Amino acid sequence: MFITDVQDSSGTGFSLWVLVLAKTNPHRLKPVPLSKKSQRDLMQRFMLAMLMALSFVALPIVAQQQGNPKAAPAPAPKRDLSGLWHYEGTGASEPIAPDNLIPPMTPWAQARYDAEKPGYGPKRAPGGNDPILQCDPMGFPRVMFMYTPFEFVQAPGRVIQFFEHEHEYRSIWTDGRSLPKDADPTWYGYAIGHWEGDGTFVVESAGFRDSTWLGSTGYPHSEDMRVTERYRRVDHDTILYDITVTDPKAYTQPIVGPHRVMKLRPKDEMVEEICVPSEEKSFANRVGEPAASKPTK
Amino acid sequence: MRSRPHPLLTYLLASAVAALTFSTIARAQAAPQQTASKSASSPAPKRDLSGVWQYQGTGGADSMTPDKDMPPMTPWAKARFDTEKPGYGPRGAPGGNDPILQCDPIGFPRVMFMPTPNEIVQLHDRVLQFWEREHEWRPIWTDGRALPTDADPTWFGYAIGHWEGDDTFVVQSAGFNDKTWLGPTGFPHSEEMRVTERYHRIDHDTILYDMTVTDPMAYTKPIVAPQRIMKLKPHEEIEEQPCVWSLENEFAKRIREPAAHNPAK
Repeated sequence: MFITDVQDSSGTGFSLWVLVLAKTNPHRLKPVPLSKKSQRDLMQRFMLAMLMALSFVALPIVAQQQGNPKAAPAPAPKRDLSGLWHYEGTGASEPIAPDNLIPPMTPWAQARYDAEKPGYGPKRAPGGNDPILQCDPMGFPRVMFMYTPFEFVQAPGRVIQFFEHEHEYRSIWTDGRSLPKDADPTWYGYAIGHWEGDGTFVVESAGFRDSTWLGSTGYPHSEDMRVTERYRRVDHDTILYDITVTDPKAYTQPIVGPHRVMKLRPKDEMVEEICVPSEEKSFANRVGEPAASKPTK
Repeated sequence: MRSRPHPLLTYLLASAVAALTFSTIARAQAAPQQTASKSASSPAPKRDLSGVWQYQGTGGADSMTPDKDMPPMTPWAKARFDTEKPGYGPRGAPGGNDPILQCDPIGFPRVMFMPTPNEIVQLHDRVLQFWEREHEWRPIWTDGRALPTDADPTWFGYAIGHWEGDDTFVVQSAGFNDKTWLGPTGFPHSEEMRVTERYHRIDHDTILYDMTVTDPMAYTKPIVAPQRIMKLKPHEEIEEQPCVWSLENEFAKRIREPAAHNPAK
């Protein structure tokens, strides 16, 4: 299972949960009627929380019903990931892997890590320097572990992946090209993909700037970072997602993310959720800083 | 490492590019006419705008329409206009409040008149338009839906499109928030703004582009942009060029503010 702020059993989980909700969208705190987007987000979060609670009760029942062929989901289409997908996580922004599964850092990375002041996790403190606090791009792969959906569209020569968070996207080239050796480093990198069989889309990416963190609890990476992802569509509604980050300049071993589940949202559409510095700043002054100043334990 | 160009540098570059362009044109005219006529004759594919397109403007950030051709403002718009402090145009001054100076989204339609390319990708139910500037994008729905009447206002709006004949793609959009300017010289709009665009692909390499903005809350008449030309850039790909506040801020302190204090003329 995933270790996150929310599952912190020390009794602070709920306040952190609220902070996570609050930080990510200033509008959510206004006592005015919520936008449809916010309503949808809140409803999704509520449903996720309920699902997490219910799953303990319902799992045995669901397991029993697996034998019923009528309850089985439709089979996956071949070589097709089109649609809006939602990562079934905790409902909050998550790290790529739990802290205890992050391999030892090199001295180069350790020095950077020591300078990081994240807003979440064990190093959490007010006055943080998380780059996203000033709307600098969140970057890849951190954006994969947000609670917001992403969409795949398949176009000639590429698969385009849109992230609702920050209204970002990347092209995953499928026209047979290789990763460039001299690409200018970018926030979302350069990606190529190919199919293994009819059900697994394998994406390799490189060419990342080293100015992003791997997750909300910090952890640096270098420009040498290479990422391998496997999107395995096991049935019509489900992708099993695996990610491995290899960055010998920063970590002594590859970082292997836990197996994650993504579900198709056939009736949803992306909404435009841009990080807007002027709104983010006024939010930080009003809510973020006061909240982070409260003792955590 | 590639960093984001900024208006001032773009302007300086534009002058250099303009000079180079003139010499290129001179050379091209001196070259045999055959090559030119060959490429001009290549017909447009039907109902297809796919590719990277470059708007042929001044090379700098252009206004939707020259200030002198803007229709009269309503009192509501005039009050907003008076508070705008753009960095360009007759009202250009240091210490401006152009929202993009702090990386707030440039929004639509202002993004259309930037010197950076846009790319069009066609899917069965929508046309995707990507702008290199700010690494932004919008879907233009072509599945027959109508514009929603209650859309949450956004920076890039809600867009639907349809084909007129085989070569003109007509896009209608609405649902914009009123936080963006129409161009670098300012000019506000309201949330009632509606935009109609016509992408007329007259040959393989060329789109004639027309835009009309209708916003009765802000302007007494529709704003009609002068016709523009977009050229296909077959070997180019859109680059990742987000507005990064920390870099922008550093740039403003180092260059923009000092430069804005120098007399422009």
